[in-house]
Parts: sequence; structure tokens; C-alpha cells
Amino acid sequence: MSSTPPIIRPEWITPIDPELQRELERCVLVTSWDKLLGMVDVVYNWGRRSSIWPLGFGLACCAIEMICTASSRFDLARFGAEVFRGSPRQADLMIVSGTVTKTMIPQIVRLYDQMPEPKYVMAMGACASGGGPFKEGYNVVSGIDKFLPVDIYVPGCPPTPQALINGIIALQKKIDGESLAVAPWYRDDVERDVPVPALGPDLVDLRTVELAAERTAAGLVERREESLEKPALIPAPRPGDDAPSAVEPGKKPARRPRRAVARPSAVWLGDEGLAALAGRLDAALGAGTAEIVHAGLLIPTDRLVAAALYLRDRDEIRFDYLASLQSVHYSDCIEVNYHLESTTRPGSMILLRARTDEAEGRGVVPSLYHVYRGADLQEREVFDMMGVRFDGHPGLTRILMWDGFAYHPLRKDYLEPYYEVPAKVFPSRIVEGRGLHFRSEELNPHGTNLKIPKAFHNWADLSGMDDPKGADAIPEGVQVEAIDSDQFMVSMGPQHPSTHGVFRMNVRVDGETVVGLKPVMGYLHRNHEKIGERNTFLMNMPFTDRLDYLTSMGNNFGYALAVEQLMGDEARPPERAEYIRVIMAELTRVASHMWSIGFLLNDLGAFFTPALYAIEERELILDLFEWASGSRMMCNYFRFGGVAADLPPGWLDRCRAIVETRLDRKIDELDAYLSGNEIMLDRTKGVGVLSAADAINYSTGGPVLRASGVAYDLRVAAPYGIYDRFAFEIPTGAAGDVYDRYWVRLQEMRESVRILKQAVREIPEGPILAGKKTYQIKVPAGEAYGRVENPKGELGYYLVSDGSATAYRYHVRSPSFINLTALEEMCLGGTIADVVGILGSLDIVLGEVDR
Amino acid sequence: MSIGRGVFRGHWITLRRFLLTFARDVRDGLALRRRGGGPLPVDLFRGPAPGQERVVVQDERTDGLFTVEYPDERLPVYERFRMLPVLIYDDEDGNVRCTSCNICAKVCPPQCIWMVQAKSPKGTVVPLSEEFFIDMDVCMNCGLCAEYCPFDAIKMDHNFELANAERHQTHVFDQRDLLVSSAYYAQTHPEAWASPEETTERAKVARKKDQRLRKALGARTGA
Repeated sequence: MSSTPPIIRPEWITPIDPELQRELERCVLVTSWDKLLGMVDVVYNWGRRSSIWPLGFGLACCAIEMICTASSRFDLARFGAEVFRGSPRQADLMIVSGTVTKTMIPQIVRLYDQMPEPKYVMAMGACASGGGPFKEGYNVVSGIDKFLPVDIYVPGCPPTPQALINGIIALQKKIDGESLAVAPWYRDDVERDVPVPALGPDLVDLRTVELAAERTAAGLVERREESLEKPALIPAPRPGDDAPSAVEPGKKPARRPRRAVARPSAVWLGDEGLAALAGRLDAALGAGTAEIVHAGLLIPTDRLVAAALYLRDRDEIRFDYLASLQSVHYSDCIEVNYHLESTTRPGSMILLRARTDEAEGRGVVPSLYHVYRGADLQEREVFDMMGVRFDGHPGLTRILMWDGFAYHPLRKDYLEPYYEVPAKVFPSRIVEGRGLHFRSEELNPHGTNLKIPKAFHNWADLSGMDDPKGADAIPEGVQVEAIDSDQFMVSMGPQHPSTHGVFRMNVRVDGETVVGLKPVMGYLHRNHEKIGERNTFLMNMPFTDRLDYLTSMGNNFGYALAVEQLMGDEARPPERAEYIRVIMAELTRVASHMWSIGFLLNDLGAFFTPALYAIEERELILDLFEWASGSRMMCNYFRFGGVAADLPPGWLDRCRAIVETRLDRKIDELDAYLSGNEIMLDRTKGVGVLSAADAINYSTGGPVLRASGVAYDLRVAAPYGIYDRFAFEIPTGAAGDVYDRYWVRLQEMRESVRILKQAVREIPEGPILAGKKTYQIKVPAGEAYGRVENPKGELGYYLVSDGSATAYRYHVRSPSFINLTALEEMCLGGTIADVVGILGSLDIVLGEVDR
Repeated sequence: MSIGRGVFRGHWITLRRFLLTFARDVRDGLALRRRGGGPLPVDLFRGPAPGQERVVVQDERTDGLFTVEYPDERLPVYERFRMLPVLIYDDEDGNVRCTSCNICAKVCPPQCIWMVQAKSPKGTVVPLSEEFFIDMDVCMNCGLCAEYCPFDAIKMDHNFELANAERHQTHVFDQRDLLVSSAYYAQTHPEAWASPEETTERAKVARKKDQRLRKALGARTGA
């Protein structure tokens, strides 16, 4: 006899003698209702468990592993779950694969509500389960179970495809245990829909809005913050002060921090060149235009545009390429600084500084939008993160957070909801003596990642139906409402199979022709930079893995270079480590381009088949990564002055075999089947054209820039590591269309294999790390910009160190993000189907776009 | 007549793969077996016993079908593979290696490691952890804790089959959940276990323990 009470059904209510009933059950009915239902359950559950249809919906790094799970090597189809549905209405499993951000959660909840019953939710990875490594961020939801009922948690960061399949098996077991009789989705009294949370001054869960309002009005968050130690601000570097005291007087008076050599980047114009350039600027635009401050040129804001125009058009070195634009919050000003580079004389990087008022919302700097179009998205990012306004920028709106978010999060005086201390290590989370541990939710008076200014009152206006993220980004053109017009708006994304992640485009179309396009991003903004300013330099290394999660080795490389630039000679990697770095970086390039080409074909309509073959080669490379570093995707393999561990025995043999005998063959195969394919040619030739001049002006990088015919590759233009020792070509395209971008990637893989062949032959024995292995890394004060030619383009890390264990400012110049600036230019006049292909040819990764 | 040829060429890829798969299976003596099936030559409905799964190594020679039929077949687990951290105790004497020096907590990038050092009744510090927690919903499997632990006490486990239906009670691992024996570690990390660094470290610790024991014994006989 089971302990659950028998289910009362109308038939059973007829009064019947219990004696007779027992007799009937024994002899006539043979079975009871419960038993009968149990038999139906077996069939019912078997049918459902064997045809789970997951929603084709990926958020972050975990989504890549989810795609791998569905592809050739792991083949989720064996579990009846091969059909990843594009529409929630056809899916019954939502795999929440990756970091759930506040910007994205309204869409996730909406998708969940649209899924028909019975439906399941799987939290894949640490982030979806409980916030993961990004939990402390201001835009990260501490676990999807704050909003949706989760059936299965799959731990790992990221879980390997095998671990995800393990989760699917666990879900199947759960389905096996269900019963029709108690299934909540057949009961009228169970409401499973979740109200869509609202994006107000912060993400507000409408189920608990009264509580949030009450606690906000009481000012509980502000009261908690009063007692916390705030991040200390340092003054901006001044001309002449060779060694400014980096810490407030009185705090650490004894020893002044060591200073790094002042230079914007490892390869740059040089002190003499800079002095000469400052002279030329002063001569052209009047005295006092350029002042040399720590190897950068301080330009008064009123002459900034003129100076930029001069540098771009009139100076003997044509600084035509805005490499990176970022801002630093100092105690006396906010500095916006610009890394300029010349594509005609590469290796002459300079740094421009412009300074403005420090107070929140007061800073104004003239926009360089009309000089360098590449400044477009980057200026919007500075506006969003620091609150600096750019005069003359045509569409200065928030880009990563949403319009209406209450704060400018990268300002030093902004404390996140889970803020504890200016720099890690955090205070203990153990209630001593009781054997208890608490989570960071309990630090915040709201019990969740929530902070709303005390003055906020419009609680009644909050609605989950608003779209504060995309509402402003209406592409130019006639009014949407005009009846006599046949133009209309399409919002593609953030949940769309062809946007390569949680990217959204507001497209204005006239019939099928695109007449306007605005990218909307920030759906995966997980506060990489803010967290990076609290991490010690070493701690940040594994976080860089999660930027462009297809190229973690390359990300490690750039970051290591930036810190090594500050550390100077003491962190010069030994010979063997340099070779290992190059081998890893080039393997990464092959793996990333394989993925990119496979999915470009996916976007062009060759659904998944080319991708399956391309992914196989990537998997073999990932095996090498896992063998050497311990993880397929999140390698965390580089250390300052070397690499984390030597190559394991046998590694080089397999690497050599793959490089020498396999990769070329497979690249040829891709070439043979794809490059001449007529559908491919039809869909890509002459589509998404970007001229060379535009490619430079839009600050595009990597294969996008080179496909337009600009032979600019940092491995040659500003050699880092030991790239100057290898013989290889820079493939360039001529037309700058989608086909050329594909073709350049294909050729780049061949060149990478060429470098790899040389590297695996020449790699010497020896140590793999400079100095002693230690976690206490002393980084001198100063500024650095480390840049590498990542598969997606120029990946730069801008660091300001104050000599402490933590970076004062940490900024990532991400190629995927900046390449998107040119998206509208490429798409105008094309069809909406071309937009998909063009976006595929840009090869964006959202972890890097939104950081 | 070039139009449409691509279709036929495309089919050749699939056909060739099919033939290669078949040839490979004949070569490996697996032609009659179900992939991922049980031990008998024709074993259609039974999978291999747990722990007996075929490990499929794929390298530059791999051709034909690429699929590894987890859970009945498995990819090799590389020794450096990182999943969640575990704490190690020595089999011989049951000693927990962790001295609660807090270095792992100091290098942990997302700050998921928390510990309290043990105290003797007199209030002096004992090199052992009283409490030890790892929040696996925050852990990013980066392995820095294991890399910088000076006592070889915290290591990265290989077990990835951890899917479960609940997190609030089960995903914060305490000391009991985290401890594994040194024999287990030696089995999962044979290369590291046999490496000169770890061997000397083990010998050093054993010597120290021995000295301490002798001292204690000497003190007792003296009294």
C-alpha cells in the first residue's frame, strides 16, 4: 500500500460496499486505478523521455559546449533530442546554458512562458545554477532558479558535453518517475507562468516588488554601504611627475610603488617620435595642443577633434586607425584615452588623453565619431559605463546596460549590490563555530542582486512589457507608424539561431531590403571589467578565458602580454614558453576559424552539415588543449612570464601528427567542397561589401579588415612573442565581401598550420616560467596596452596599475564588439537574409562583445 | 553541365565516411558488435558495466564515424582535466593534508573557498581546517587552488557526472564531501603522483610525521 492517498475519481464516488469493492478489485478489475495509471505512465513517460526537444537557445560559454553536444562527436540525437527547436512553442526543454544577466532575464522568462506544458528547465553550468564566477557582477542574476523552476542542475564551468549528456540522462530519469495523476500541467489550480521581470533602475522581480519598494524606501542598501570600505581613487598622471604617489598619503607612506616604463604599448612610436609629433601638433594647431604625459599626448578637449583630424589626414604618419578608446576614473578627472595606430606605418601606436570633469554626469568630451567611425560604439560604452557625454555623437545612448539603469557602473564610487571590499580577498562567509556557510545573497538587504536608489518612486510604472534596451535603437528612416509606408521594423534577437548568441538587431526593412539597422547588445554583459578591477592580476587570468570563449588561449596571451609589459624584464618568458604560446595561439586560430566557417555555412543555409565536419577538427584541437591545460575551453594556461605547466609527455607527438598530416588535408577538403559551391558563391559574392577605407575608419580588425584588402596583422605590424621568427603570409581579400572574409579565414588557417609546423619542429627544451612560481605577483604602477592578433581581430587589454595587487583600471578592447560598428554599413541595401550571412562573416562572440 | 554536380560531390563525403567507418570497425574487430554494447559479440540491449566502458582515443588517424557514444563509450580523461576541487587525506594514517594556510582561498578568482583554522582547547592554532566549504555554483574550475597549494592538499577531481535536481542543500560542499583518499588521487593523477616534486614532498611530510611520533613516544617513555 502506497502512502499517497488514493485519487478520488467520479466513478469511485458511487457508494459501494467496501467488502464488495475489495472483491471486485481482486477478481474482476484485476488492477486498481493507480496500477492502471502506472502502466499508462510507463508508456507516456517513455514517449516523452525519448523525444526531448530542447529549445535552441544559448546564452554564453556553456552554449558552445551545448552545440558540441549536439554535433558529431557527442551526438545528442542518440537520446532523441536532436531537434533543437528555434521556437519555444515547439520545445519542451530549456537548457539555460550560461550566465543569466539582468538584461536577458525578461526574454528568458518570456520564452519559458511561451513553452507549452509539460516543460523542463535545465540549469547548465555554474552561472545558470547559482551565478557562477560572475555572481558578484551588477548585471548578473544569481541563478536561473531565482525566476524559473529548475529540474536538473549540471555543475561545471563549463560542463563538458559528456556532463551535459549526463544531465539529460538525469532528466530522463526524472521524467520516468513522473505520473499522469499528479502532473501539475493537467491541474487547473497550478499556475506555472512566471511574470516577466521589469527593467527599471535595476532588474525588479514583480512578484516581490512591494518588498523591494519597502526596503528601498528604508534605504537599507545605502545604510549597509556606509560601513564598507570604498575603492580608493588615485590622481591622474601629470606632466613631469615621474612617480606620483599612487596611494593616498598616510595610508602606505613608507614605500613608493615601483613604476613601469612609460609607454603605451610594447611596440609604439617611441619617446623621440612622440616628442617630434607633439612638436608638429603644436606647430599646426597652436602651442599647448599636445603635452606629453607619461608617454601619452594630453590634448585639451576643445582641440581634440582638430588634433584627431590633423593626425588622421595631415601628419606625416597617418594615424588612420583608432585602435582602442577607453576611460579611467581618477580622483581629479575622468580621462578618456585613445590608442591610435597607423595602417600605413604600423607599429607607431600613440596614446591621446582627454580629460573632463570627474563628477557624475558632468563630464563632456567632443565626439570623434565623425573622424573615426570606430569610435561610435566605444563612445557609447564610455557614456554607459562612466557617464561621460560625447558632444556631437549622433546616438549617444546606453549600450550595455539599458536606458533607465540608475548608475554608471564603472565609476569607482559605484558599489554593486554584492559589494564587499575594494579588492579580493573577501571576508569569510562562514558563521564560525556553527558549521554554517552563507551565500552572497545574504549580504544584500534585498536578499538578491538588487540595488535601487532610495529616491526611486515610480514602482507602479514598472512593467515587464517595456523594452528599455531596444526602444531607443530605432534605425533612421520614416516613422514606423506611418500607414502609407511599407517599411517596418524587425527585431532580430536576442534569442535567434542566427545571431551567434544573445545579440539583437533592430532592422528596418522596405519589403525585403534593409534600409536601417541598429545593433542592440549587452544581453551578455557580465561585468568583466568591474570584476577585473577587484581581482588580483593572477585571478583575472581565468576570467579572460570567458571573454571570447572560443579562443581562450589567445585571450590569455593578450592579458599576459599586458601585465608583462608592466612587469618588464623580470617576466620575460623563457624560450620554450614562447614556443608553447605560439603553438597554442595558432591552434586556437585554426579551431576558431573552423568553427566560424562551419557556422557561416550554417547561416547561409547549409544547415549544420559543414559545421559538423569543421567541428571535428576543432574537437581534436580541444583534446590537445585539455591534455595540456586541463580544460577544453577555459584553458587558463598562460602565466605572467610563461605558461602554467609544461607540455605533458606525448603531447608534442600528437600535435605534430595532427599539424603535419591532418589539418592541411581537412582545410583542402573544406576548400574543395565550399569555395566553388555555386550556392555559396551566390550568397556571398558582392554581399556585405566594406571598402578598405571604411574598414580602417570603422576600426574593424582581423579577417574583416584584411578581407577588405588592408594587410594589417599585429603578428607582423607589431610583433609580439616570437612571431618575428616565423615565415608566413598575411592573406588579404580584394572585394571586402562575405566571400572574401570566408576566404581570408581559410587561408589564415593554412598560414597558421605553416607557423605550427615550424614551431613544433623548432621548440627547444627548457624551463617554462620566468622566476619562481608564485601567486603574489608584484606589478609596478603604470599603464599598459597589450595586444594580440586574435582570430577575431585585435584583442587589446588596457591596464592601469597603481602598484597594488589589483588593477586600478582594466579594459578590454574586444574585436567582436568593435567589428559590429561596421555592421549597418555592410547590411544597407542587402536583404534580410544577407544580414544573417554578413553577421556570420563578422564572426562575433557575445562573451567578448558584451564582456 | 556543372550545375548540380556539387550535390553529387557532397554525397560522396557521406558515403565515404560510411565506408571508412565500416572498414575501421572491421579492422578493430568491432564489426559485429553494437557500438557501446555489452561484452558479448552480439549484445544489443545491454551496455557495458560501470567502469568497463570502452575509452575511445581520437587522434590524427581518426576517420569515419566520429561519435563517441557516451555513456557506453567514453573519451579519455586527461590527467590535468579539471572539474571540482577535492581535499586529500593520506591513506596510511588518515591525516588530512590541508593545513588551513588559506592560500587556495586567497588565489580563488571567484572566491568560492572558505575555511576556518582549527584551534586547540588552549586557543593555539592547529594546522588543520576546522571547517571547509566550497560553493560549486561559484567555482569556475580554473585550478588555481590546486596549482598554488604548497601542501598538495587540494586537487582537481575528474568526476563530471554530477547532475542533480537540487542545489541549495547539495552544491555547497563541506569537508566531508570534499575529502578523498590519497589512493584515489594516485589513481586519477598517476603522473603527478609519481612526479619528483610530489614524491619529495610526500617523503618530507612522512619524515616530519615520523620525527613528531618519535618525539611523542620518547616523551612518554621518559615520563
